[in-house]
Amino acid sequence: MCNDILINIFEDGLFAAIAAIGFSSISNTPRRAYLTCGLIAAAGHAIRYVLTSPEFGEIHIIPASVLASFAVGVLAVLFAGRIKCPAEVCFFPALLPMIPGMYAYRTIEALLSCLYHTQEDVFGHYFYLLAYNCMTCSFIILGLVVGATVPVFLFKKLSFTATR
Amino acid sequence: MTSRICNKAVDESALRGTAAFLAEYASLLSGCGATCIRIEKNARRLADSFGVEFDISIMPTHVYVSVWLDNPAEAVVAFRKTPACGISFNLNAKLSCLSWEVSDNNLGLTAATERFERIRRTKQTGKWETLFLTGLANASFCRLFGGDVIAMLIVFISTLAGYRLKQIMLEDKRDIRLTFLCASFFSAALSAGGHIFNIGSTPEIALGTSVLYLIPGVPYINSVSDLIYRHYLCGFSRFLDAAVLTVCLSTGLCAGMLLLGLKWF
Repeated sequence: MCNDILINIFEDGLFAAIAAIGFSSISNTPRRAYLTCGLIAAAGHAIRYVLTSPEFGEIHIIPASVLASFAVGVLAVLFAGRIKCPAEVCFFPALLPMIPGMYAYRTIEALLSCLYHTQEDVFGHYFYLLAYNCMTCSFIILGLVVGATVPVFLFKKLSFTATR
Repeated sequence: MTSRICNKAVDESALRGTAAFLAEYASLLSGCGATCIRIEKNARRLADSFGVEFDISIMPTHVYVSVWLDNPAEAVVAFRKTPACGISFNLNAKLSCLSWEVSDNNLGLTAATERFERIRRTKQTGKWETLFLTGLANASFCRLFGGDVIAMLIVFISTLAGYRLKQIMLEDKRDIRLTFLCASFFSAALSAGGHIFNIGSTPEIALGTSVLYLIPGVPYINSVSDLIYRHYLCGFSRFLDAAVLTVCLSTGLCAGMLLLGLKWF
């Protein structure tokens, strides 16, 4: 049981790291930052996985994302100086696997469905889906950025002298 | 009297050069996807190092820089269009390093300009490397959403195809919105194969994940960051840009599903 949880956490972190490195390459991240981005992403995603899993209290995805992104922000500020990159170079790719892409396009799908259906009850159902997905997506993104940005302010001196 | 006029002309010419450099620097930093706070801080660091007073206004597509010596009424203003160089953390990091280098070593305008031009010529990450890594990343995404190995393979292949199409269209200078629409349509149509031929146990996750590599995550994150720093215009503009691209990729996905007769509502 305990082993299974640990394997799941490790697996979650590993795939989040691969996703972060891959997506960071789209944004032309310096190669020296790949490993750090991967490790920070693994830590962040694994934290969110643990917080939202039933074994550890099943926290809602929004506060769990905020806590995980705060951890990502702290790690990014601490490691940015070592790879001589601004803190956001480390935390952006680490946040990307946590961006709720599924919620984003379900919002658009629900919007199109609303336009397609005119019956009140069916329309109401898709409007509910639209509002639910849109709100969840927006608040996760807001929480992610606020959570990761707060450490930049808490450790202002470290953050803005990383490339020195 | 003549010497004072001469000195004034020299000062004004130096100020113009400094303003032009700072505007170029800030616009490139803005173009490569830096947040407004970083653009302001870096440009101010450079201005302090050059010994001039400085103010900056960052607009969604332009950057205005104003510099002066003692009298703000005699300020020199330069503005530049933000280059469409695409998001590059490599450029962002190098430009940030440059500001510290100039400030710590008291480099003059000529040396700073030389280094800046060298940084401007920085090559982007190799296209094949990016293509392969993006494929792997999206396949990992599929795993994170609960997809099985077959779904991961489908996503890997459809991402390779869609991302390559995106690269080709962007190299041909096609409109970015059309590019996103076509790439997502292509990826969705390919990954719908899993659904149609009943391959694997999670074909719907493969279909849903196949277009996620197109989600413009960096502009979304930057927009909220700008909003927090009260750069509402830039923040809202970045958010709208990202939202338009998300609509394009969703439309491509829906078009792919409709074409192949999959029910999505």
